[in-house]
Amino acid sequence: MALRETAEQIFPELAQKQRTFLLAGAAGLVLSAVGYTMNPEQFFSSYLLAYMLVLGLTLGALGFVMIHQLSGGAWGVVARQSLGAASRVMPVVTLLFIPIAIGMPHLYEWTHADVVNADPILRGKAAYLNTSFFLVRAAIYFIVWNGLVFLLNKWSKEQDETGNLELPLRMQRVSAGGLLLHVLCVSFAAFDWVMSRDPHWFSTIYGALVLVGQGLVAMAFQIIVLAWLARRKPMSEALTPVYLGDLAGLMFAMVVLWAYMSFSQYLIIWSGNLPEEIMWYLHREQPGWIPLAIVLVVFHFAAPFFLLLMRGIKRNPSLVTKVAMLVIVARVIDLFWLIAPETHHEGFVLSWMDLVLPAAMFALWVGLYFQQLRQRPLLPLNDPQFEEALGPAFAHADHGTAH
Amino acid sequence: MAQSNQPLADRMEPVAGSGTPIVIAPGHTFASVTDKISSIVLTQRTPVGYYIALLTAAGLAGLLLMSLSYLVVKGIGIWGNNIPVGWAFDITNFVWWIGIGHAGTLISAILLLLKQTWRTSINRFAEAMTLFAVACAGIFPLFHTGRPWLAYWLFPIPNTMSVWPQFRSPLIWDVFAVSTYATVSALFWYVGLVPDVATLRDRAQGKVAQRIYGMMSLGWRGSARHWHRYETAYLLLAGLSTPLVVSVHSVVSFDFSVSILPGWHTTIFPPYFVAGAIYSGFAMVLTLAIPMRVVYGLEDFITMRHLQNMAKVMLLTGLIVAYGYGVEAFMAWYGGNYYEGFMMLNRINGPYWPQYWALIFCNVIFPQLLWFKKIRMNVPMLFVISIVVNVGMWLERFVIIVLSLHRDFLPSSWGMFRPTFWDWSTYVGTIGLFLTLFFLFVRLLPAISIFEMRTIVPEAKVQEGHGH
Repeated sequence: MALRETAEQIFPELAQKQRTFLLAGAAGLVLSAVGYTMNPEQFFSSYLLAYMLVLGLTLGALGFVMIHQLSGGAWGVVARQSLGAASRVMPVVTLLFIPIAIGMPHLYEWTHADVVNADPILRGKAAYLNTSFFLVRAAIYFIVWNGLVFLLNKWSKEQDETGNLELPLRMQRVSAGGLLLHVLCVSFAAFDWVMSRDPHWFSTIYGALVLVGQGLVAMAFQIIVLAWLARRKPMSEALTPVYLGDLAGLMFAMVVLWAYMSFSQYLIIWSGNLPEEIMWYLHREQPGWIPLAIVLVVFHFAAPFFLLLMRGIKRNPSLVTKVAMLVIVARVIDLFWLIAPETHHEGFVLSWMDLVLPAAMFALWVGLYFQQLRQRPLLPLNDPQFEEALGPAFAHADHGTAH
Repeated sequence: MAQSNQPLADRMEPVAGSGTPIVIAPGHTFASVTDKISSIVLTQRTPVGYYIALLTAAGLAGLLLMSLSYLVVKGIGIWGNNIPVGWAFDITNFVWWIGIGHAGTLISAILLLLKQTWRTSINRFAEAMTLFAVACAGIFPLFHTGRPWLAYWLFPIPNTMSVWPQFRSPLIWDVFAVSTYATVSALFWYVGLVPDVATLRDRAQGKVAQRIYGMMSLGWRGSARHWHRYETAYLLLAGLSTPLVVSVHSVVSFDFSVSILPGWHTTIFPPYFVAGAIYSGFAMVLTLAIPMRVVYGLEDFITMRHLQNMAKVMLLTGLIVAYGYGVEAFMAWYGGNYYEGFMMLNRINGPYWPQYWALIFCNVIFPQLLWFKKIRMNVPMLFVISIVVNVGMWLERFVIIVLSLHRDFLPSSWGMFRPTFWDWSTYVGTIGLFLTLFFLFVRLLPAISIFEMRTIVPEAKVQEGHGH
């Protein structure tokens, strides 16, 4: 039966696609290595942007895996295997952090002793913002993320194979504590890796904003892939318009949350107008950056918001795929808005590396994701919620060994 | 189809054999549900304890009336508020009550849209709670103006002197947010009541009751057309209420965060206020539901499943609130702003340290017990936790408001706030008003939605199956 076949068997062309994406990614990375020799500062800024994109695709998926373990819901039964595959790219994403560790002096002003010594505020932060503690913290984040990815995927595979009823409970327990750790790690990683690009600036909502951004980009990507996988059985049976609409509803919720948090942050900082906070926005008021902010308001909020209000779009695979693509592009622009102005205080600059690096890293990530996706069935076997969610669609199918 | 649509979390506690709690006890039929709920209002003898409770609550409401009358005569000098602490109990109580209301809106609107059927037995009284809480909240800003008879100045009314409210001030946004909230909540609650009030009209024995319920039910006959329009209206109202769950408390948080006062000015405030509001609201729903289900024998309808789910929502929102405290404390240090750092130290170690640490205990430490299923299944323990969280959320607002005001930038203008008798009497009085309204509601209207409960008894499932 189709249910037990791996994605490889159902979609043999995935191997070819994987190779294409990996090659494109590798080529792009090699090309941008040239950029490193030309302008290391720009290279690392673009690299951080690309890195935050693939980190979001991976960690957002991990977050949804855990949320689904805790909340249940048919959407999660449908998306589980694909979300798991996305989370399993984590080990490579960990390795991709190495260039950031190497590029710290180019990325973070506070790594320079002379700058810190001349600045009483930075001296005060030195206990936190220093190279060794930064790396220790990064190591902790990666241990937590990789640990969660490892455990949840291992048990999920066991569940596919054995249908042991202990496993769902175990996954639920780990997800409860795991989600807590995950939120803390993502928040502090956001403070460390992105917010400290401007070491004077701080915003308490920043971690939550990055967290929501990760959830959004991960969900948008999942919608695109699942809609594509629904060309053949079993996904064509599983991804009913209602469930697709549920996933799109989650994407909609993330769009709204992002807008709510971004607007709140802006309103509060604008009205307070304190020198240490407003500088962040003043840098983004330099020539050329304001149009980018308007692009964000329109394409990161207004357009997806109004489009996803319509049930007809949410439940239509080809239309919702287009909205999801728009959202991914908007996510890249938002990351650009967070990261690039710190390199270009004088005004808007778009380097070719800001295009090539995110594209290359994204291609590389998608290749690795396909590699993971191929290895397992597309729908979970022996999931205790399977009957409930997909029972009618697979009424006569023999799914899993426990039945 | 309709069934597979519902979220699985609803009916599933994953591991078999652990005594899956359910949304309604087995054995109930359409008739038994209607009998059981309407009998509280129509046929059951009112227990003596009810009158004692009602009289006590009404006595406290009387205290409120007295306190407010005295305030109108003497001015707000009877409270302990004074510069530098210009906002104290009044605004603390306002935020506390408004926050409590949020659980009702969340349960009735968001859980409806998310198709969470377990909301069915708790939505009606949670909505009533919202309404009464908003009423109590509204009293405070109104009387805090000192001249409540000029309260209409808060609205942008065209006038010959062209005096307008300051539209850039969140205080005027508050006027709109809270009045919209009150209006929509009242509409939602009343619309939900109409079919049930019609049931009471049909079953009432006394002439007076028949007349009153008859008028309130707006000519409801339960025809298919009525139901069709009703469902549409209810869903639309749910859609309208959903943004209010977030917007009202976000605006309340702007009252503080758009200023530059340390402890008030921080960007996490909007989502963290919303989470805190839902936290305190669910605590209040539990505080009310636990005694109510015992007194009226409603354990069949408000099951352990409901209590557990509410406990989980409290655990989640409590953790979000704790995250807010943590990030705020970290940024107070990390930001390197001297006054922010001082504010945090003043909370931890200043003259109000007992209040601060009590808040941390009530909101962060004690509720962690909810991680354990044993505790979530223990009703008296849940009741204790719900009370502790209510206290903790009140302390949170007190700490935010008073501690930031009493020591700001200039040490020469520091001061202390000490509540007077009238501060306490006004606060306790609103609790009395809230309980009075709630007791009256439980006695006079169906506290659980009869027609929605009927949709979740097994009988309804069979019919649904035929329908499709």
